[in-house]
Amino acid sequence: MAHTELIPRPATLVKVTNESADVMSFEMEFNDGAVMDSLPGQFVEVSVQGYGEATFAVSRLAPDKKRFAVSVKRMGHLTKMLHRAGEGEVVGVRGPYGKPFPVNDWKGRHIYIIGGGIGLAPLRPVVDYVTANRSDFAGLEILFGARTPGDMLFKDDLAAWRRDSFVKLHTTIDFPAEGWNSRVGFVPVVAKDLGLKPDNRIAVVCGPPIMIKLTAVALRELGWPEESIYTTLEAKMQCGIGQCGRCNIGAKLVCKDGPVFRLDEIPAHALA
Amino acid sequence: MSAGWKLLRREDLGAFLDELAAGSELWVPRRKGTRWDFDRYEKGTDTTFPGSIVEVSAKALFFPRRRPIARFNPKAKWSVEPVELPSAPRIVMGMHPCDVAGVRYMDRVFLGNDHPDRLYEAERNRTTIIGMRCSEMKPTCHCTDRNLSPDETEGMDAVFAEAEGGYLFRALTNKGEKLLGSSLLAATDAQPATREWPKGRHLVPGPDELMDLYDDDFWLEASDICLTCGACTFACPTCTCYLVADEKFGDEGERVTAWDSCQFLSYSRETSGHNPRRTNAARLRNRTLDKFAYSFHKRGMGSCTGCGRCVLICPIRRSFPQLGAKLKERAEEKKARVS
Repeated sequence: MAHTELIPRPATLVKVTNESADVMSFEMEFNDGAVMDSLPGQFVEVSVQGYGEATFAVSRLAPDKKRFAVSVKRMGHLTKMLHRAGEGEVVGVRGPYGKPFPVNDWKGRHIYIIGGGIGLAPLRPVVDYVTANRSDFAGLEILFGARTPGDMLFKDDLAAWRRDSFVKLHTTIDFPAEGWNSRVGFVPVVAKDLGLKPDNRIAVVCGPPIMIKLTAVALRELGWPEESIYTTLEAKMQCGIGQCGRCNIGAKLVCKDGPVFRLDEIPAHALA
Repeated sequence: MSAGWKLLRREDLGAFLDELAAGSELWVPRRKGTRWDFDRYEKGTDTTFPGSIVEVSAKALFFPRRRPIARFNPKAKWSVEPVELPSAPRIVMGMHPCDVAGVRYMDRVFLGNDHPDRLYEAERNRTTIIGMRCSEMKPTCHCTDRNLSPDETEGMDAVFAEAEGGYLFRALTNKGEKLLGSSLLAATDAQPATREWPKGRHLVPGPDELMDLYDDDFWLEASDICLTCGACTFACPTCTCYLVADEKFGDEGERVTAWDSCQFLSYSRETSGHNPRRTNAARLRNRTLDKFAYSFHKRGMGSCTGCGRCVLICPIRRSFPQLGAKLKERAEEKKARVS
């Protein structure tokens, strides 16, 4: 029976991975065998029955589209319950929702991924897409920052990207730590130091609001036009389908008009 | 569909309502204490219709304050079952044009996108709206400045108006026509009285002018004494912001949508603590701009219907229409400064 979109569909957790002290990835499949037809940058609403639901970016989609993942930082009530859920348990899923990254429009370009902390989760499907279709792109460079070495997410992916000659990976942590041989410093500062110019490049930025804002400042200082910078914004959401109201930035709804925005599409006051 | 008016004699009103209630749920305005609200009609009860707004909007009949959308067994792992869609025929009688305009706006929110809300749709489909022309405009009314009028009939299935000796009814849709076949209604040449309604009492700057005032001190000054209680949003016929929550009562669990308010601190607060609208001023600005600017972009229609319910309910007696007038002054000042 056709019913309100707000009713989630059951999905079973098939693999649970500890990414860091407070981040876990949950790979799942719909119980009815349906595919998750998401594009890079789209998000889903995940429910734990009795505890409500919350918004998460799809952080990986298997090539057959049956298995998909969300990567979840333990922050509140719902995420705590999710972190307690083990493989074989059933959650509810709605979606995919939102506007994806326009990866098809980026063909021929050099892609520059800039992620801070859990902000790398919505960007991983972009990396997956670009590496899988590498002949369509001029190159892929990734800057990933986390607070401490222990907060580095997707360690297997980082290792694979490091091995891949198509990918250039930079990692940074906020403060020096023993045994850390890579960069130290906040993402916007490192982005400035790396000094990548906008020539034929597209930057894709996601992280905490302050990181997005300052990274945009750093890129602008390096001569980047706003039309070459994309971000995906976080906002409190309930419905994910443009009804419940709260995710608006001015007249735009992050759930429907976003979460992916080109920088020049975002009202100036939104990143303040 | 006949275009003419039909007369119901005042002494036949009760009998007519009984007829309507025989085939449908019938909801009519009812005075409760000091204010009007909609209530289920009980056969044989005396009913009168207020000449201007029913203070408690009929919004909740279409989008209830707390609305179960699914049930589950809290002890099971996953047992979410959607609730049944309501289908019993229903008549809502006595909604004034501003309240019906609220339903038209809700239609855009819940049905005007890729994911129509089937529960809302079911409430709409089972309902016939017999709207009522206003016989007065209260001091707080400003529909005439919001692209509406006390005579507006858009969105109604039938309309009625007070007249000499009774009420004049007229069908506007096939659905409405079906309700007006009663032998108690007699064809007539009479027309409801028309009059010039006051206009220009509560002007608000246009969307672009308003956006120019985004960084104005006005918002801070105007929000200073606001309690952020959210009463204005609950009273508003177009405010439909909601949250989704799971509620458990022993062996029964329900997933519900419930009215939320943009005036609450928690409304846009993310779990991280980040809140794009932390201050009263930011929230008052967001609501005002949503009513008079954003809604035109988002839904193609302004979301203030000029009913004045927000003024009547506000515990600090804030007059939102007067805020509009002050904004208008600010906009004029700004223009004068720039030129």
